[in-house]
Amino acid sequence: MSRPAAIVFDQASVAYGRVPALEQVHGTVHQGEIVALVGPNGAGKSTLIKALLGLVPVASGSISVLGRPPALARRQVAYVPQADTLDPDFPVSVAQVVLMGRYRRIGWLRPPGRADRDAAAEALAAVGLAHRAADRFGTLSGGQRQRVLLARAIAAQPAALLLDEPFNGVDAVSQEALLATIRALAAGGAAVVVSTHDLGLAQLTCDGICLLNRHQFGFGPPGEVLTPDLLRAAYGGAALELGDRGLIVARS
Amino acid sequence: MIDFLVAPFDRPYMTRALVEALLLGALCGAVGVYVLLRRLAFLTDAVTHTVFPGVVVGFLVSGRSGIVPGALVCAVAAVALFTAIAATRRVNEDTTLAVLLTAFFAVGVILISRQRSYTADLTAFLFGHILTIDTADIVVTAVVAVLAVLVLLGLGKELLLRAFDPEWARAAGYRITALDLVSNMLIALVVVASVQAVGTVLVIAMLVVPAAAARLLSERLGVIVAVAVLVGMAGAWLGLATSYEASVGHDVRLAAGATIVLVLVAFYALVTLGQASRRLVRR
Repeated sequence: MSRPAAIVFDQASVAYGRVPALEQVHGTVHQGEIVALVGPNGAGKSTLIKALLGLVPVASGSISVLGRPPALARRQVAYVPQADTLDPDFPVSVAQVVLMGRYRRIGWLRPPGRADRDAAAEALAAVGLAHRAADRFGTLSGGQRQRVLLARAIAAQPAALLLDEPFNGVDAVSQEALLATIRALAAGGAAVVVSTHDLGLAQLTCDGICLLNRHQFGFGPPGEVLTPDLLRAAYGGAALELGDRGLIVARS
Repeated sequence: MIDFLVAPFDRPYMTRALVEALLLGALCGAVGVYVLLRRLAFLTDAVTHTVFPGVVVGFLVSGRSGIVPGALVCAVAAVALFTAIAATRRVNEDTTLAVLLTAFFAVGVILISRQRSYTADLTAFLFGHILTIDTADIVVTAVVAVLAVLVLLGLGKELLLRAFDPEWARAAGYRITALDLVSNMLIALVVVASVQAVGTVLVIAMLVVPAAAARLLSERLGVIVAVAVLVGMAGAWLGLATSYEASVGHDVRLAAGATIVLVLVAFYALVTLGQASRRLVRR
């Protein structure tokens, strides 16, 4: 793998105030790679994404995003939150939401221009929702809303993409559309970090896995990290073994 | 009907009242949409109450010309305090607001209760005196309206983003506290500009009701703002005309500010009923 590093964790620990949330994360996400953050509920997956956005401070060690501290790399990083955290009654159209991805490029005091609208329309087409542009955001299904939020991130043309549980409660069609778009973005050279509960999906679609539960249990190719021993260690009592062919993980 | 809407405004004091009411209707309609989107009605209410002691002190110090500066000082102090408290996210915002607004309000009541013309003054401060508005008051309102237009046009997209998805805005590097300070200050200025005309208590209705009615009528932000402005202005005009007609034509004294508010609320009720019946018909 000769591709340049995009995100580097160097023995990084993250804390909310004095309470440590996540310790000893160590590994590298290269450009064009998709890395999944997996682990049980409360493992610190969302916290790590917030640290990558510079919203939670690194307590010790370091995190570098595109060669800079996270807070200074924000303009080249796009974030995809969980769609259900947003108010479905908010009077904003799908096109307006996607256009938000351009705001930082547009800058203060200026209205969006032609190029911004075109970029937003292109991003919306990439997730297969161009025909819903004029609809109110809240009228879309959960999966479609998640795709709109991905389109907003793409419209920012980021060098790194961070997604927080994008597949939660998403229908099969939307999941496929999300995956295809994420893969295309990675193929274009973006580094992608995605947190997920879905071990099968992580194994099938990601180049790397970061297995977490309060601290790091493994960081590397799926075949090396998603092993019975490591999963048992990370999931503890929530790990349920079936037969002798491997291991199924039950959510707590 | 046209006579009812036009005739009262021949008199200079009614013309001034109409200009002030139309300006306020438009201003409150537009800013009210942001109050609605951010669910800031309670904060706005708190500002209206905290402004009260400033109004009283200003009046005691230098008469009517002291009211706006007094209100301004209090509003700016209160908003800076609220924004700072909200930024720490340690305390329950509702509780803080409730404690502060009642404390400020009580101070105002104590100050004014020491005056001889207690009841008359109190009524004017609480409910305004739009019929005795002067040109200086209109200028203040116009300046605030221009400021509001500048802020809403200049920072419209950032305020929209902050209202819709604050976490994402923060992740994109926007300073939420700075944005909040600007928008909260704007709300405070609107409250201050409205104090003379409709008083500290009724401003909240001018801000919230037209925007809420407009939200029922449309899903599109641009349309909502336009409708809220129109509803605010129409309500102000109709309210003034109604209060004049009742007072002069039928000898039923209707306070002008309160009548404007009731016209707005009546419109809101009609829209709500219309929507409910439409839903029934569709079923």
